Amino acid sequence: MQNKPLSFSVDIKLNRRRNLLNFDYSIVLTVFLLGFFGLAMIYSASGSYTLVLRQAMYFFLGAILMITAAMSNFRKMEPFYLNAVWIGFFFLVLVLVLPNSGTTNRWINLGFIGFQPSELMRFLLPISAAAYLTRNPQIKLSDWIIVLVTTLVAFILVFLQPDFGTSAIVLLSGIMPIILSGLPWRFIIYSFLGGIGTLPFLWMSLMDYQKERIYTFISPEADALGSGWNIAQSKIAIGSGQFFGKGYMEGSQSQLDFIPESHTDFIFAVIVEEFGFLGALGLFLLYAFLIHRLLYVAKSSNSKFAKLVSATLSIILAAYITLNISMVVGIFPVVGMPLPFISQGGTALVVNMITIGIILSLRRTT
Amino acid sequence: MNNFSRERFKTGEEYSRALFFLSPFIFLFSISLFQVLNLTLFQGDKYQTIAESNRIYQKPISPVRGFIYDRNGTLLAENIVQRDLYVTPAYIEDSAETILTLSNLLDVPYELLEENFSRGIKKVKKFDSFPLVKALNEEQIAKAKVNLDSISGIEVKATLKRYVLHEETLAHVLGYVGDISSDDIKREKLLAELQNTQIGKTGIEKEFDYVLRGKPGIQTQERDVEGKLVRILDTQGAEDGKDIYLTIDQKLQDYLFKLFENRRGALVALEPKTGLVRALISSPSFNPNILNSIVDTDEVESLFSNKESPIFNRAISGQYPPASTLKPFVGLAAIENEVISWDKKIKDDGEFYVEGDPRPYRGWKENGHGRVDMRKAIAESSDVYFYTIAFDLTLAGIRPMLDSFGFGKKTGLTDFEANGLLPDKKWKLGYKGDFWFKGDTINLGIGQGYILATPIQLAMAYSGLANKGVIYQPQFIQPEDEKSFEPKKIAEIQLSDNKAWEKMEQALVDVISARNGTAHKIFDPNSAVIAGKTGTAQIKSILPGKEYDAIRENPALRDHALFVGYGPLEDPKLVVAVIIENGESGSEVAAPIVKSAINFYTGGFDAE
Repeated sequence: MQNKPLSFSVDIKLNRRRNLLNFDYSIVLTVFLLGFFGLAMIYSASGSYTLVLRQAMYFFLGAILMITAAMSNFRKMEPFYLNAVWIGFFFLVLVLVLPNSGTTNRWINLGFIGFQPSELMRFLLPISAAAYLTRNPQIKLSDWIIVLVTTLVAFILVFLQPDFGTSAIVLLSGIMPIILSGLPWRFIIYSFLGGIGTLPFLWMSLMDYQKERIYTFISPEADALGSGWNIAQSKIAIGSGQFFGKGYMEGSQSQLDFIPESHTDFIFAVIVEEFGFLGALGLFLLYAFLIHRLLYVAKSSNSKFAKLVSATLSIILAAYITLNISMVVGIFPVVGMPLPFISQGGTALVVNMITIGIILSLRRTT
Repeated sequence: MNNFSRERFKTGEEYSRALFFLSPFIFLFSISLFQVLNLTLFQGDKYQTIAESNRIYQKPISPVRGFIYDRNGTLLAENIVQRDLYVTPAYIEDSAETILTLSNLLDVPYELLEENFSRGIKKVKKFDSFPLVKALNEEQIAKAKVNLDSISGIEVKATLKRYVLHEETLAHVLGYVGDISSDDIKREKLLAELQNTQIGKTGIEKEFDYVLRGKPGIQTQERDVEGKLVRILDTQGAEDGKDIYLTIDQKLQDYLFKLFENRRGALVALEPKTGLVRALISSPSFNPNILNSIVDTDEVESLFSNKESPIFNRAISGQYPPASTLKPFVGLAAIENEVISWDKKIKDDGEFYVEGDPRPYRGWKENGHGRVDMRKAIAESSDVYFYTIAFDLTLAGIRPMLDSFGFGKKTGLTDFEANGLLPDKKWKLGYKGDFWFKGDTINLGIGQGYILATPIQLAMAYSGLANKGVIYQPQFIQPEDEKSFEPKKIAEIQLSDNKAWEKMEQALVDVISARNGTAHKIFDPNSAVIAGKTGTAQIKSILPGKEYDAIRENPALRDHALFVGYGPLEDPKLVVAVIIENGESGSEVAAPIVKSAINFYTGGFDAE
């Protein structure tokens, strides 16, 4: 086994005995649970049927794509995987070129539907990277460098939008396949130190509102009516939920709009306010279970490609969950990341569900 | 490139590396869970409280101020609806434009609106409204109502304002109300809750504010982050203020007020047997409605800067030399201290000398009254007679009697009256930096010099004469049933000879009835018998060589005219003190008012 070529086209043997629908149903169930819970919470937070309906449509679309991906045989999609990243680049450049209102260029509007190319990039990039790195039995240094350069370009494009949070995720999504694929530790350590060295330059290139968020994180109470407001109100909502919560639709902080972005980034505060510590604990367990099941593929698969993709996508998902929650509970700066499967937002939901579908497919076929 | 040979890869390293790079997130995840635990369980109560205060707003509900009636149930003060133009900041897009539109529409200066707007907006939340233009007139109301829809964020709201029906007539008795000031809140913390409520600033409105004001209600509202009302959780209605019935007789008050013809002066009329105040006038007066609902600040300013001091309540705060109206009390002190007897006569040739002092103390009548006893000295108001007995009495002999009749201290009618002044040696040393001279005692004997009294003090002191020593607490609050009312006795002066009261009263009757009585001009055999005493208070002492005629060139230096009297004699119903500033002759200007008051009070009503 060890001496076999690592290219997925050679490496993977499809177990024909396995049924097309033979995937990990505990993962599907968890995702549906989270998704439905999310719809309910979006309704509580926004009070808008329109928003819930739209999110439900995205959820439906996501579910179809997830099942489709789960049932598909990715071996036949090799050229797509290798070139998927170009789709991402196309939209990332497009979003910067197209005129946009407001201070940030994050959205591509197709009239009937809008989506965020950066969200697309953070799952296309790791797939392409993994495919590229494993296309030959042996990884050359130049492969890593090419993936790294590609990743940095993608990172800069997202950073220019500007979207600090997602650009970090994109960076992570490109770097993880490099690291996981076996980059020697000393390179990793050198890069880490080098990365720290660029922090001052990174800081200088931040927009004022991004710097403000970091200041706010350092002392939220100093300006409770200004930029610290969000965090202060979010903590009040969470704390006032106490053990059992105030009940569905009964959270005063969320119902009376004291929590900003309550149906998107800060939806976790609404959940804890209305369902208390118990609800939070339940959600934590669901997420922990999901990540655990997703990582099983990375552990058990005998395909390097499958391992790289599933591990990276699982880590990205874990990063989203963790960073969003730690931001809402006030132990991390506000970076503007949605809570996977729950926050209102179509692109993220669909992308996350496709991610799950891909991992399910990898699990089924390897 | 050998370093990167296939052998270096080991199956499973992807997974272990994945776990390694997942570990910071697992760590952050765990800390987040602990933070949720910390916020919800360890600090839950604290955040619960904050969340409650975030959403709950306690809106005070103003109580309706109680009405004021006179003794007969005649309405004196009520509340009227005033329509104000309110604005709600949340609904105004461009404040400058809105102000300009309103300024043109309502014909109000732009600057005034701008000032009101910037002052008002600081006090309220976005969705709360505040008054921009107060007391709209009919035309403004009509114009505003037509344009309510086209100008966003404005509305016409009705509020209750105090309205005094008889305007000038009762201004000083009722006083006025006003908005709650920061000083008021400092004094009474609860007032901070009462926006849009008026509180009493002077007079009855202030003295009995706690009765009239009522208790505010509280509406507990749930409000959203912008302060917009979401729903009403609880309403505790306001407890409206209680009505007050005053002892004032509106008809008498009105009748007497007209007699003043805006001359500067004051009047107090009370029932000697109960202390109930039936009329209290300070003139010139003002219209309290100007202050009850301040619309024009210029008008208010001119009211306060008026040299005639119309706001000042002369009846309880004006301090005047009592002059000859003090003589009955000095006389009683002399009898009581046996300095003189009723029959003992003293020669009055118009001047009184103290041994070793060449300066004469002159009487008001140039050649004196001849030989006079107490009765005649009172009736004709002999100064020399009283110089003599005051000199013999000394200050120590005079003061106790004056003190027991209430001179130099508040009567207790209101909290806001003046003390008057009953001087003694210590006072003179402290305030004038000089010793008490015999001359001071002599002047005190005719109610001049340092002594000062308020009209209410004079009326109360004379009620003591009318009641043979008993003085009742003057009061403004009408008892429910006058017949069963038991007035509060505040003094009961005992004289060693009880007949002294009648003798003094006889002398006071002579003031009017006797041919030479100083107030004989008002004598009318058909009217009720009145006992009283004139007084002419000197403002400026006449220096040697200068005659009063020269002084009276300046109207402000002319003597004050006083008369205090009571009647009818057989059963005194009313004691009246009148002072007309610079009125010169008590008998000519003050005494007729007292006579009219008693006649009107005893007969006037029934006739009508």
